Amino acid sequence: MFRDKISDEFNLRKQADELGVRVWQTPSFLFIVMGIIIIAAMTGVYIASVHYDSPEVVVISESVVVVLLLVIGNSIITTVEEVAKSNKMKSEFVSIASHQLKTPISEMKWQIELLVSKFFDGLSEKQIEIINEIAHSGEKMGRLINDLLDVARIDQGQLALAKEKINFCTIVEKAMESHQVFAKASNVEMAMTCNLKMLEVFADKRRINVVLDNLISNAIKYIDGGGKVDVLVENIDGFAQFCIRDNGVGVPRADQNSLCEKFFRSNNSIKNQTDGTGLGLYISKNIIEQSGGKLWFKSIENVGSEFYFSLPIVEEQKKGLDEIV
Amino acid sequence: MSMNNKKLLIVEDDLVLQKALSEYLTMEGFEVRCAGDGEVGVQMAFEDKPDLILLDIVLPKKDGYAVLTEVRADERTKHVPIVLLTNLGSISDVEKALELGATTYLVKADYKLEEVTAKIKEILSIK
Repeated sequence: MFRDKISDEFNLRKQADELGVRVWQTPSFLFIVMGIIIIAAMTGVYIASVHYDSPEVVVISESVVVVLLLVIGNSIITTVEEVAKSNKMKSEFVSIASHQLKTPISEMKWQIELLVSKFFDGLSEKQIEIINEIAHSGEKMGRLINDLLDVARIDQGQLALAKEKINFCTIVEKAMESHQVFAKASNVEMAMTCNLKMLEVFADKRRINVVLDNLISNAIKYIDGGGKVDVLVENIDGFAQFCIRDNGVGVPRADQNSLCEKFFRSNNSIKNQTDGTGLGLYISKNIIEQSGGKLWFKSIENVGSEFYFSLPIVEEQKKGLDEIV
Repeated sequence: MSMNNKKLLIVEDDLVLQKALSEYLTMEGFEVRCAGDGEVGVQMAFEDKPDLILLDIVLPKKDGYAVLTEVRADERTKHVPIVLLTNLGSISDVEKALELGATTYLVKADYKLEEVTAKIKEILSIK
């Protein structure tokens, strides 16, 4: 592990590709050059001071070294600035493009809704079925755009979260209900246990729903040919803890460290049979962490997974809950 | 609850959205009028005195914030509920709009016409 980290640190080509700069511009390369120059300079100054008695020579050679170091230091800063700037531009581009895409999607959605709800006379069942499928595709596109926008906001540090009191069991229950149809169609049985009905958390309701949607749909989606999903909500040390357990395909050990990274999709056995962008867990983890909680998981390939997240309980409730527990 | 005689003003420059929204709301029993830019929007708000205004933020001539400020400043329209329709959806935009006196806001791409209508009915029946 440590060796991997070190070799990654000195894999200049990989680093240059990741940062979008030339090899000689990568910070690691420049640091190596700087190190070599410092060693050479110290040796040079030492030799100069041994062979030449005049202090001028030592001063001049030291000045040359200082200037060289300044030049290299400056180019390191410039590279880092360039990388930061291009990252910012990338995020801004995603954000602007997504906003622009939202308008035609709203147009499409509203027109389809107008058609099927107010002007459906004369449409055959087949026509309505096709229109509904178009609507479904539009919704999928809308969700993807929302995900991209969220990622852009996270990258820019601008994911703003509202703070409101939420009854945790109710919001979990509702999220489970909205996945009932999908679960049934996938031959998955769902069960929920909520130990404290009055458990309240301070968080952004809409965003927590996004997290719940992601975790519940993942649990169902990655069960191959029928199975079981169990949800447990409890109060653990002043945090509302959500746990969802499935007996699905699980996450291969090699993928577990990268699972919550942006655009990462695990190489499990049914990867190609399932839809996914690799953004859900990245967004969810960021939402939970920014809300003062944690998101983590345990998984064994071909056995199943357990995904957890915790959120701080509303302060004035903590004491009361402790007494009940 | 009957929506007869409830007058709505839609200020929206995207004609496809404007048309879909106005047709839907008309069929729901509202009396709907539309403006395609901020200037006409303010003028119609003063003349028609609608029961509720649906207002886009990005508009030609006068943006939604300017419309909001003028409508709120005028005696004739200062109590009219205003629902902002936006696709911006960033917290700072929303906060600014709510500070200027908007009743609430809806992100267009996330809401169905049915949900927009439900919101309008909710606001009008509370009033």
